[in-house]
Amino acid sequence: VGKVARLAVASVCLLMAANSVHHASAHAVCGARVFPPTLTMDDPGVNDELSLPTIQYTPIPATPGTPPGSTMSYGFEWDKTITPHLGFAINGDYITQRGAGENLNGWDNFSLTLKDQFYCDPAHEFMMSAGVVHEFAGTGSAQLLHAGAIDTIGNTAPTLYAGRGLGDLPIGLLRPLAVTAELSYAISDSPNASPNEWDYAASLQYSLPYLNQNVKALNAPDFVKRLIPLVEFAFASPRGGPTTGTVAPGLFYEADSWQLGGEAVIPINAATRLTQGTGFILQYHLYLDDLMPNSLGKPLFAGW
Amino acid sequence: MKDIMIAAAVIAGLTLGVGRADAHAFLSRSMPAVGATITSAPKQVSIWYTEEAEPAFSQIIVTNAAGQQVDKGDTHIDPSNPELLHVSLKPLKPGAYKVHWHVVSVDTHRTEGDFSFTIVSRAGGSS
Repeated sequence: VGKVARLAVASVCLLMAANSVHHASAHAVCGARVFPPTLTMDDPGVNDELSLPTIQYTPIPATPGTPPGSTMSYGFEWDKTITPHLGFAINGDYITQRGAGENLNGWDNFSLTLKDQFYCDPAHEFMMSAGVVHEFAGTGSAQLLHAGAIDTIGNTAPTLYAGRGLGDLPIGLLRPLAVTAELSYAISDSPNASPNEWDYAASLQYSLPYLNQNVKALNAPDFVKRLIPLVEFAFASPRGGPTTGTVAPGLFYEADSWQLGGEAVIPINAATRLTQGTGFILQYHLYLDDLMPNSLGKPLFAGW
Repeated sequence: MKDIMIAAAVIAGLTLGVGRADAHAFLSRSMPAVGATITSAPKQVSIWYTEEAEPAFSQIIVTNAAGQQVDKGDTHIDPSNPELLHVSLKPLKPGAYKVHWHVVSVDTHRTEGDFSFTIVSRAGGSS
């Protein structure tokens, strides 16, 4: 049992932790609705933004012969518009693992997203985007690769994104509610060795900025008027394997040109709890279109 | 704990390193207030934004419950505050009114929104 078993457990735990970091990209505006960048799933828009850092802590439960441990990941995502509605994003995560067999450090594989926001109905605060996400196998650190702790096989995931604000409905103080969703099918570069997988996620948000600006002026400190409580759900269903997922309740603070968000990340079923306990995720997010509107913050081809 | 301290230092550094930005112009407050119920008819609607607005591409429209426009179509920036827009109103009767606005901030970002206010007679009715 010894070292090989501990290494195997460590590798599985690290893979689970790494794969659970599907952190956000662009925020999006449709009509009076601002969809903030979410943390465990992507949002429905395309913009010029930078998530730096995204920090996730994930406890790893003990298993027979292996002590408990934890992973920390430090991620970034850079979103760049090509045209006002078409953009790309680059993701990377530096991962450290302590306990749970092996101590490991290094970069996860990098991924690239190409995304097009093809629909926005301002009156109904409804927007949709479609994209393709590709994970490049072999771009992570050699230490993690040799430990079997990161994917040796890449995948390509066609993805659909949607967001719907409820501000047009006659529901009074519930008008600040919004729902976002994401559905993707990850096609493995080698399906016989690594199965294809459905990934799906949703968020329910209550925007105090929307409440204050469109429904009822709040008699509260400015700090309160910038808060967005929300809950995110994210699931993965690999072909022939158990569905795993997390529920992540949290709170965002929306400044003029940046956002700070934090969520608890809670395993949603027994299959998920085998490999991770309740952790947390924090993200600092910069709106480059506001901070650098004449350089990095504007589309490469603005007239399109 | 060391990892968290490093992360906190990174966040603090980034936050302090970000100067004032030309962000989207969102509603900061308004007069009448968003969702307010008032007893006297206002002569204008005023909206304070979080950023300076471009007057040529910014507008406030006020309509009554029947959808008829009740503002005078003279949206203009306050001469002493470029983040404040006004529009004059025709004489208003008690009732529900909707304010729709759109602005383009000085960095060319377009934003929009709408809100309601209600005028009630001093006896308490809105119609």
